[in-house]
This record gives sequence, C-alpha cells and structure tokens, in this order.
Amino acid sequence: MAGKENNRMQCSEFDALLSQAIDGTLAGEKLTAFEAHGRECQLCGPLLQEAEAGRSWLKSLEEVAPPEDLVMNVLLRTTGVSTVRRHGGPSRASWMDRVGEWAGVIASPVINVARQPRFAMSFSMAFFTLSVTLGLAGVKLSDLRHVDLRPSAIRRNYYETQGRVVKYYENIRIVYEFESRVRQFKQATTPAQPAPEQPNNNDRKDKTKDNTSGQPEQKQQRNYSQEGNQPVFASLPNDPPVVNGATYRRFV
Amino acid sequence: MAALLVRRCISGDAAAWEEIVQRYHRRIYNICYRFAGSNNDADDLTQEVFIKMYRTLNSYDMDRGAFMTWVTTVTRNLLVDHFRKTRQERMTDSLDTTSSDHEDAMALGERIPDRGPAPDSRVQTREAKEAVHQALQKLSPELREAVILRDLQDMDYREIATALKVPEGTVKSRINRGRAELARLLQRTYRQVM
Repeated sequence: MAGKENNRMQCSEFDALLSQAIDGTLAGEKLTAFEAHGRECQLCGPLLQEAEAGRSWLKSLEEVAPPEDLVMNVLLRTTGVSTVRRHGGPSRASWMDRVGEWAGVIASPVINVARQPRFAMSFSMAFFTLSVTLGLAGVKLSDLRHVDLRPSAIRRNYYETQGRVVKYYENIRIVYEFESRVRQFKQATTPAQPAPEQPNNNDRKDKTKDNTSGQPEQKQQRNYSQEGNQPVFASLPNDPPVVNGATYRRFV
Repeated sequence: MAALLVRRCISGDAAAWEEIVQRYHRRIYNICYRFAGSNNDADDLTQEVFIKMYRTLNSYDMDRGAFMTWVTTVTRNLLVDHFRKTRQERMTDSLDTTSSDHEDAMALGERIPDRGPAPDSRVQTREAKEAVHQALQKLSPELREAVILRDLQDMDYREIATALKVPEGTVKSRINRGRAELARLLQRTYRQVM
C-alpha cells in the first residue's frame, strides 16, 4: 500500500489522515484529495469503509452499569470502612446470615486442618482410647441421661463415692500389712545363710568393664597400708633395744 | 479539581478518596469490561485498579498530565498484566466458539440475525451488541485498548498516546487497524451466516 500514488496522495498519507477523516476533522483540499484517493485506490478504499464500519459497530456499544456494591467493595479493600457484603446489599443479609458467615470464616481453617489424614487419625485414636477407657471403667454413655443432677443427689453420690474409695484403700492396706507380717515371720524362722564369697579382682575388673551405666566408678574404701604387697620401711622385734642418738651417730 | 482531591486524599482525607472512587469507578469498570470481556473479571480488575491507585497515589504528578490520563494509564497497565497472566487467546480463534462467560450461549455467528438488513440497523439489538463485544475480544490487546480508549471512552489521541506510552501516529494507526479488523471479523461472520 505504501508508495502507491493516486490523485496526488500516497497511501501512507491516506493512512495518516484516516483517523481525522473518520472523526470529521479533515477539511479543505486535504479532504478532497483524501476522498479522491479513497475512491480510486483499491486498497485504501476498502480500508476506509472497514474503518468506518468498525467505528459504527463500536459506537453502538453502550456503557455498562457496574455492580451496585463495587464502590463499597473498593472502599472496603482500600480503607476498610465498609461493612457491605461483596454480593448483595446490607438489607438482604439477616443477622443469622452474618453470624453464619463469620462462623464459617472462623471455623473453616480448623475444619481444613481437621480434614488432613494425620489429624483425622489422631482424633479417631483419641476417641477410641476414650471409649475403651470408659468401657473398662464401667461408664455407659446411655446411663448419663439418667443422672440425677439435683444438689441432694449430687451430694449423696459424692459421699457414696468417697466411702467406696476409703473402703478400697483400707482393704488394700490390710492386704499389704498381712504380706509384710508374713515376710517378717519367714525371715525370723529361716536359718542364717553363709555370707557370699568376695569376688576376686579379676571378677571385679570384668564387672567394671561390663558396667555401661555411665556412672563413675565407686571409690574403694580400703586401707592400702595393710596390704601385703606394700613396701615395708621398718621392722621392729617385740623387744626393741634402747639406742640413743649419739651411739647411732657413731655407727654412721 | 482532581488535583485537589488527590492532595486531600494524600493528606489522609478518607472522604476525598471515596469521592475519587465514586467519580471514576464507572469509567474504569467499563474499560475493564470491554477489555477483559466478562463482568466478574471486570469487577475484580476494577478493585485491583483502585487498590493500585490507592497505593501509588503519591506518584501522580499533575504536571505530567491530567488525573484522568493517569487513571487510564494505571488501568491499562493492570489490564496488560492481567492479559499476560491469563494468556488469553487472540484474534486467531474461530468466531464460532462461544465465550467462557456464556457457556450455554449461541456462537457468535448464530447470534447475528439472519434477516439481511444493513449493519447499522442490526446493531440496535442486544444480540448484535453482544456479538460486537465478543468480536472486540478477538482483537489483539494493542488494537483493542486503542479502540476502547478512542471509541468507547472518547479520549483524544494525545491522551491515548500518553496513557499507552506510544507516539500519537502509532495510536492513530492502531485505531484504524483495530476498527478495520473488527469490521472484517463481523462481516466475515455475517457472510458465513448469509
């Protein structure tokens, strides 16, 4: 298209003036030359018609009305001053809906977490443990509805439970006392047992090696001066001679 | 007037910000609706535009242009970002496909009435307007934004050039190409129906 010349106007010039011509701001000789080029040029003529048709199509479009709550939502998201719901006016929302909406907002994270398999497994295990414990303790959930909640009944249940606990404790104490007496009687009638042999040093070393408790080794409370393998620095007979210091010096 | 509003808003006047929202939300919504094609997207995008405006209101320089042009620039930039993110299909799509917003609606070619009168008379019907709106979505983003700002928002070429950050000649060229492309799309469909 560029470079062609019809009626003293090039296609590039026609293209540059196309917007002004469609807008109606082109006049005078330029308009005459423009129209003449449009009539004669096989490329620019259809272009002019298409551009005019396209503009007509676009001008047929009307302005659309934005949603009613758009302004309130914008203010809510920018300044946080609006309390209007996103879709629907405030008059249509009852207080029950609002409470439900807030409860949903608060509870949804918890529900989402609880839906995870590991938490669901933990909850089921806790429930299973609780039910088994209650079953072993003899508590039946079906009996709870028959519980008398009057103060006098609660007081009576309290004292009955306390009496049962004290009775159980006393019985257990008697059994333990009887067992300890029997143990003492057995010890008194049984002959004395020989003392266990002292383990030698090798056994003690082996035991020390086997000790994996991590505790430091116990200090031995022994008198090393009485051991047979200690060096003897002096030995005196039963009747030692009286030696004075001068004589001793004379020998030396 | 707008500059005064902006100054009051920057100084913390909530009423000034609300007035800005009241004054420009309709225009921004329409630009978003014509560019994105659906009411839901337009609603979300308009809110995003105002959030961006609220955060960057300090960057508005009244010496560099009118506040309306700045608002349009912010809107256009966000729309382009949205287009890049969603990777919307361009004009090469078939006109016989329905839009995702109206799954059970008729195809574009089916919505144009088969009566044979001139196009100027047919655009009076709602279906024809919807067809134009759908055809507008088939234009490339560069052509679409140019014709929207010119023919739907009645901005002059200089304002459009400032908003789009391109020379004025480029703006005129895009507008011409966009109008012609739109007419070709609709005429092609019309010929198929005939």
